[in-house]
Amino acid sequence: MNTCQVNPITLEVVCESLRAIVKEMRASIIRASFSSAIYELDDFSCALFNPQADMVAQSDDHPGHVMPMPWSVKCAMEDFQGNIFPGDVLLLNDAYRGGTHLNDVTLLYPIFNDGQLFIFPAVRAHWADVGGMTPGSYSGLATSIYQEGVRIPPIKLYERGKVNDGVMRLLLSNMRLPDERYGDLNASLGACRVAEQRIEKILGKYGRTLVLDCICENLDRSERRIRARIQDLPDGEYCYEDYLEYYDGEVLDPVLMRLRLKVSGDQLTADFDGSSPQVPGVVNSSLAVAGAGVFVAVKSTLDPQGPVNSGAFRAITLNAPEASIVDVRADAPAGAHGEVRKRAVSVMLGALAQVIPEAVSGDLSGTSFPNSIGGYSKSRDRSYVYIEVPAGGNGGFLEADGSSAFVNVDFGSIRSIHNVESLESDMPLQVRSCVLREDSGGEGQRRGGLGMRRELRLCEGEALYSVLGDRAVIPPFGMHGGGPAKQLSVSWERGQTVKLFGTPGKVTGHRIQKGDVVIMESAGGGGYGDPLNRDPEDVRNDMLSGYITPHRAEAGYGVLFTGEWEVDDDRTSALRLDMLGRRLRLTVKADETYPYIGNRGKRRVVRLSEGTITGLGVRVGDLIELMGNHPAPLRCWIEFGAEVEQDICPMDAFGRRVLGVEQAESVWVRSLPGPSAAGGMAV
Amino acid sequence: MRRAPVNGQELSVGIDIGGTFTDAVLYDQQNKALQWVKVPSTPNDPEQGLLDAVESFVGINLKQITRIVHGITIGTNAVIERQGAETWVVTTKGFKDTLEIARTERRELYNIKTLKPASLVLRRHILEVDERISFEGAVVKALDDHDVESLLASLVEANPPAVAVCFLHSYVNDSHERKVADAIADALPECFVCTSGQVLPVLREYERFSTTVLNAYIGPRMQHYLDSLMAQLDSREFTGAIFLMTSNGGVVGPKRAGEFPVHTVLSGPAGGVAAAIELGKETGDSNLITCDMGGTSTDVCLIEDLVRPLTSEQQVAGLPNRSPQLAIATLGAGGGSIAWLGDGGIIEVGPRSAGALPGPAAYGRGGEEPTVTDANLCLGRLSPDTPLAGGLLLNEGLARAAIGRLASGINQLDTEAVADGVIKIAVARMVSAIKEISISNGYDPRDFSLVAYGGAGPMHAAFIADEIEIPSVIVPFSPGHFSAFGCLGSDLRQTFAQSCHFGLVDENWNDIEAKLHEVESLAMTSIKVDFPDIDSVEVEREFGMRYVGQSWELSVRVPKTVSSTQELGEVFESAYRRRYEHVHELPIECVGMRVTVIGPIAGPDGSLGAEVATAPVKRTRQVYFDGAYYETDIYDRNALPGSLIGPALIEEDGALTVLPPGWRLVVGQARELRLHHNA
Repeated sequence: MNTCQVNPITLEVVCESLRAIVKEMRASIIRASFSSAIYELDDFSCALFNPQADMVAQSDDHPGHVMPMPWSVKCAMEDFQGNIFPGDVLLLNDAYRGGTHLNDVTLLYPIFNDGQLFIFPAVRAHWADVGGMTPGSYSGLATSIYQEGVRIPPIKLYERGKVNDGVMRLLLSNMRLPDERYGDLNASLGACRVAEQRIEKILGKYGRTLVLDCICENLDRSERRIRARIQDLPDGEYCYEDYLEYYDGEVLDPVLMRLRLKVSGDQLTADFDGSSPQVPGVVNSSLAVAGAGVFVAVKSTLDPQGPVNSGAFRAITLNAPEASIVDVRADAPAGAHGEVRKRAVSVMLGALAQVIPEAVSGDLSGTSFPNSIGGYSKSRDRSYVYIEVPAGGNGGFLEADGSSAFVNVDFGSIRSIHNVESLESDMPLQVRSCVLREDSGGEGQRRGGLGMRRELRLCEGEALYSVLGDRAVIPPFGMHGGGPAKQLSVSWERGQTVKLFGTPGKVTGHRIQKGDVVIMESAGGGGYGDPLNRDPEDVRNDMLSGYITPHRAEAGYGVLFTGEWEVDDDRTSALRLDMLGRRLRLTVKADETYPYIGNRGKRRVVRLSEGTITGLGVRVGDLIELMGNHPAPLRCWIEFGAEVEQDICPMDAFGRRVLGVEQAESVWVRSLPGPSAAGGMAV
Repeated sequence: MRRAPVNGQELSVGIDIGGTFTDAVLYDQQNKALQWVKVPSTPNDPEQGLLDAVESFVGINLKQITRIVHGITIGTNAVIERQGAETWVVTTKGFKDTLEIARTERRELYNIKTLKPASLVLRRHILEVDERISFEGAVVKALDDHDVESLLASLVEANPPAVAVCFLHSYVNDSHERKVADAIADALPECFVCTSGQVLPVLREYERFSTTVLNAYIGPRMQHYLDSLMAQLDSREFTGAIFLMTSNGGVVGPKRAGEFPVHTVLSGPAGGVAAAIELGKETGDSNLITCDMGGTSTDVCLIEDLVRPLTSEQQVAGLPNRSPQLAIATLGAGGGSIAWLGDGGIIEVGPRSAGALPGPAAYGRGGEEPTVTDANLCLGRLSPDTPLAGGLLLNEGLARAAIGRLASGINQLDTEAVADGVIKIAVARMVSAIKEISISNGYDPRDFSLVAYGGAGPMHAAFIADEIEIPSVIVPFSPGHFSAFGCLGSDLRQTFAQSCHFGLVDENWNDIEAKLHEVESLAMTSIKVDFPDIDSVEVEREFGMRYVGQSWELSVRVPKTVSSTQELGEVFESAYRRRYEHVHELPIECVGMRVTVIGPIAGPDGSLGAEVATAPVKRTRQVYFDGAYYETDIYDRNALPGSLIGPALIEEDGALTVLPPGWRLVVGQARELRLHHNA
């Protein structure tokens, strides 16, 4: 690392000026765009890159975008090596090459100085539709990428200042609402032109060399800073595993994401070895996406104030099996990039909890939960595509309850829902209600945040509804004995009847008609700490505010009230003692039998004796979680093991490391009820 | 009835009621004479501080005063301290969580422990009514009298001091809101009731509701204050006009201020910004960063090309306030801020302040904790011999003892070094606030001058400027009273925003004109609520316009000469191209109008203050700068030579300017001090 000698004020002014350019681009795009995904939800990001594909500046941009962006910029630079000229504008969305999902279309706008490629602004924006089998291009049940829309490898949309008409027309004619797409594209281009002017101004003021020195020093100091934080962690290997929900038809076949997090000096390695191979379903993504989850988790727990640029990414190495759910190859779908990223955050939290237990939170709601409705509005004489990603809860943490209906930390500054008034003005939809979902937060000494319940009525004609969520069956987990949160849920209502979908959380193009209501319920956040240790007054306040029901106060927290809704201290203490005594404990026995089953997916099973299963009050096939010495629980499905003794829990080495338990130590068990797929579980 | 402002033989008073001190300036228009006073604030009864200030002018009787304009921080403080009224909300059925769900976005990225700002309203204080208005203003679900009855029953039982009525789509049809609000007002005559359609009739319910709740939350306090003030003024036979500064840098009368206190959230600091713009016009400095450092807090604002930096996108304590306001950022550190030991033995400064009571340790009023003021006294910058407002002398021994206690907490025995550290930390906080409004928004602070005022501003300005290489510091005449001075020259300024929806086609021109006329008359009517006789006004018109298909409008200043939709479209397109570097061939629509009616008020003109002959150095003192004591000359502001080389201290009533070694000073044409680094 060479250290440049730049005046510290100049360094800061130049770097902040670059950041300010990105902020200005953001403001310009929000205001000038035509699709609500951008103007209401802020689902886009801007950044500046150097020719080495280093991201040198960003602002409050979407972490899920800005970390994969350098990968796609690198791909574009490789494709067009030495073949980029002033006036060229590049476009790409390839999900296999640093892309996120196909909806996220990236525009690169090279800027030259003295005939040399100097820096370029880039915009990655969620295009509300990029073709594919459903309006909004969100297909929870897609089986190949061709169903998810148009795939754009790095191409030149403009060559030497001249638009490539054929390309433009080809693209737009394969997307719904082409006028809207064209308007958004122009908003992005306009933002890049604003950036170009600002960059010229900075170059004029400080000169090329000084600006480059500042960029170099800024990348280096960002790297030094995050490395210093990693250095503080004890060396070692920390393991965790979690799942994404893949449906084969209507059969649930969860796929495994497995992480070994290695800390060695000031370097971190996130190794996803053992994760499921890619599946013909949406829950695959590129390693850039899982890497974004890794980085977000590291930074949000270790160094929230540090800068975000390519320098900060250098301290993290990623390993993953090829053609797996975390390193997808053609032609598997890649629509659930957000869920893959979020699950990477989950496994990171589970692993980090073993080394910095006070810095983590309970699991987050764990899904971006994109819902889309598309159709034609006769009264407005235009087609429309609606997208919302209703935010769920956040995990509780050492100091506080998790926030409710608040986007998770990997989701940037996205506003997950529209203003009701804008939405109703723009589309033939009426928001019937939008409220917090009681009892959806994970129980805990610090409660997880609540999800929301949002109901939308179609006011006109017919439309197609799609959703691409996760955590609809396997709930977000708690920490340190904190409870799981409520899973997300979607249902629809016609007349007096409310129906669930056969594939919870994932729907493609379900037809609704005027008067039908779609009910979207986002997941909560996991609890932190034992709910039986929660201050009974906090439980009472939660109950009076309607965050939890009186039933939950009693059954989950062991708090009883007097007739006047005051805490009944004596009965509460007695009930809590009794609940503690009734917790079911099993003794771990080392057993290296391969613990996973599944068809294309893999899920951990635990083989228990018939007596144990009956004693737990569960059935074969049920999902449970085991709590050991580490903060995060281990999830598994119950199998009958004829050879297993009563109250014994056979466990392989990886499972024991996740739980932090040795042979003969005990774990306690919590059952995790939830919805099931119409076709049951894969075998 | 109170008189409208007259611009003749005025005896006017500008007052800035701060957290620690209340400053007042009296301007005698006939004699072109100014008087200043500074008295301790009385936070529990702010009107008392105001009256104390007015009554301490020499040779003036309250009855003679024609106009009082004041800035007050009741609103902001109530929100920041979460000490506003218990506010209840009545909202559309199915939407009781609109305020708590908010927009769900995270403002601090990459921190797993970030919390959503808590709503001001408890969930159990939100009541729903089954009603619905469509986006076009049609009644979808009519109000049911029975529902309203049962709502009233609940409210009467709870008897809350404030209720905000917030229904969906009330910006286009607020009949339901009005009906419910009227019923509540009848049932609970003591209750402060407001509706979202009146507070901010614009699209986007969360931001509108939030602004409305802020209004209700601070309403009872503001009304109580205004009632007490008016009663006191009446009992003293005051017959002049009284105004309050608003967040947009204009002034309003007490009736409007009492109904819409949310417009006064930035009332305190607005006067200073207004004054800085006037000063810049006089001195020719067009790019300014203002730094108003008082006892409790510091306000900073960036002014480019002397344009009033208006925005409607700010927040109070994390909660959106969409009323039009100056882009002022506030941080919780000032001269009275307490220095304390945080985790790991790190000295921290603020946000807790010793205020006026007990005040810094050196006040000798029982304050034990060291403050920034105590640190300045320890280093010899503040004088133990020069009395403060109200004749108070600072006690150096108490200040040293307080700083000493902090020093022993970190096993550091050098009191000066610790005192210097306290100041450096306070300065660092100012610097980071200034970076936020400049560097983070693409401005290089080195292109600006730092205008330092407030009691503690000029004491720290050179150090702040050093840190961010701002080349020059301007200390206005009488900086301790600058905000109060700014109040004197501020115009009546009523802004009215209203959502609407017109395509920019010829056949709509008459409707557009009619709507504009309607909004203008609303603004006029509201100005006349307080000042029925006002005649001369200026009108500024802004239209919110966009291309069909877009959601966010661009706010475009529309000249009075525009007389067709085509011209309107041209105005929009040229503004759009300027902002976004492209235009579209798409139909244009107008979705909002914002009208500002301005009633000009003549303030003091430029040629103020007595001419004073140059006098010699008042005395010298040992002053500590950066590790060493310097023999430092002390001057009287009213008797300065034309230029000075640091180190020097310049004392005046209500403020002290510190000129560190390596700095020089010249006196400018508006009698401002201009400080420059030698390098």
